[in-house]
Amino acid sequence: MADFAFLSVVELARLLRQKKASATELATYFLDRLERVGPRFNAVVTVTRERALAEAAQADREIRQGKWRSPLHGIPYGVKDLLATKDYPTTWGAEPYRQQKFVSDATVIERLGAAGAVLVAKLAMVELAGGLVPFAIGSETSGSILTPAAYCGVTGLRPTYGLVSRHGAMALAWTMDKLGPLGRSAEDCGIVLFHMAGKDPKDPSSVDRPHPLTPSPSRRGGTKFRIGVPKGADKDIQAEVAANFRQALKVLEDRVEVVEDVELPDLPYGAVAGMIIAAEGASAFEDLLKDGRLSQLTAPEDRTGGYPALAVSAPDYLRALRVRRPMQRALDDFLKKFDALAVPTRTTVANPIDKPFRDGWPGVTGGANVIGPTNVVGVPGISVPNGFGVQGLPTGLSFTSRAFDEGKLIALGRLYQERTDWHRRQPVIA
Amino acid sequence: MDAISRRAFAEQLALAAAAPWFLEDVGSVRPQPSSPKPQAQQEPSALAKALAETVRLRYPDRFTADDLAAITRSVDGRLRAIERLYQTALTNGDEPDFVYSVYRGAD
Repeated sequence: MADFAFLSVVELARLLRQKKASATELATYFLDRLERVGPRFNAVVTVTRERALAEAAQADREIRQGKWRSPLHGIPYGVKDLLATKDYPTTWGAEPYRQQKFVSDATVIERLGAAGAVLVAKLAMVELAGGLVPFAIGSETSGSILTPAAYCGVTGLRPTYGLVSRHGAMALAWTMDKLGPLGRSAEDCGIVLFHMAGKDPKDPSSVDRPHPLTPSPSRRGGTKFRIGVPKGADKDIQAEVAANFRQALKVLEDRVEVVEDVELPDLPYGAVAGMIIAAEGASAFEDLLKDGRLSQLTAPEDRTGGYPALAVSAPDYLRALRVRRPMQRALDDFLKKFDALAVPTRTTVANPIDKPFRDGWPGVTGGANVIGPTNVVGVPGISVPNGFGVQGLPTGLSFTSRAFDEGKLIALGRLYQERTDWHRRQPVIA
Repeated sequence: MDAISRRAFAEQLALAAAAPWFLEDVGSVRPQPSSPKPQAQQEPSALAKALAETVRLRYPDRFTADDLAAITRSVDGRLRAIERLYQTALTNGDEPDFVYSVYRGAD
């Protein structure tokens, strides 16, 4: 059987168009791989075999008739198991919700289904690195798309808040949660975003903004991208991460104008984010707090972690929401000076699996905090693989822009990936 | 890794990104330490202790002494972060960043 594991959406779609593979072949290949390799990575929550084979058979029928729905038609994908799917459990990755079921699909799953994509699994977040699915849908409140993308050597795109409907997604913090794609390339992420995005009457925070299918760097002609590098971005971080970051900027040097040592407006991003996540999270999970099911969580800090939020006052939460408005304006005024900010996505490679996060890489105290402030205000970001660091683990380069400038981020990512092959490197899986 | 720890992993990722903020604001581009230097444990404020006690009173049979100590420390950190929230000047007209919309159903 052909090896489809690490092919991009664009490459798989080409195989389908050239009739060198069928949607059923692709679905069967990835279903088998999910069942065979998935358990080793603790990556799979539920394999949706029956649904996938039915969707693939329908795709094959339509493709035979020449009815192409989109570049995703017949392409398998997975979703983080916090997105509702009818007919299968949606566990939210937690024991208290192990048997939870919903009567309908989340809006993003409906939309990807309408584009012809084939849902093969509900997943944790390490599936792309293992070549288990061609693309996946993740969620980010404050780093949970960009961070695993960097740690796993894949491309992750965090859309502007509201660009993608959250209907049917587990809420952690309603005003900070975003859904976005993880894939093999910036181009793939752009294609997936195009088919996920748009106004949804079921999500009042969703917006309708035009988004190009495949933003391309060539459309800018000779105009250089203006890139801001925050002060301290590559100082006192892991040496390999810093070196990969500088090398990445060098790769782009003829197409970017770099402005060094830029400084974000000095505002209490952390206090605002902390208050919002605490208050909204405590409200979203009030059932767990009330009936004591927090005690069923494994990590000791999780068993008590929600309770301090009960001491948050309503005026303090509203204060955070009031401060966020001038914060948005100040950050937008800052970001509009650039096409994007560039930073190493994380200051280290992935933490060792056998150590708590706080003990992972002692002594690394530097870097620039961009993920936090930009998540508070809801602007987009992308992370692309840019090399390897300690223990041969991947590192990431991220770009962040003004709200709704995903096109620039995808174009920058494509430009970088046209000149490098880090996104094509594969782990050895014995 | 079972289902519970997968969730814990995802939440810890989110919290890891935000964690330094819970205790103190880190400013715009202050370092994001992955391993903060050990600091002398500060005695929680009287207000933190009182607020933690309100949590205990809600659920009197739920916590060990260690749980309560952790909750108190967390409340104390949150109170210090809240101080930063009030250092940004706002006027009466500065509204929260959401808009309430009145509803009228079909006639």
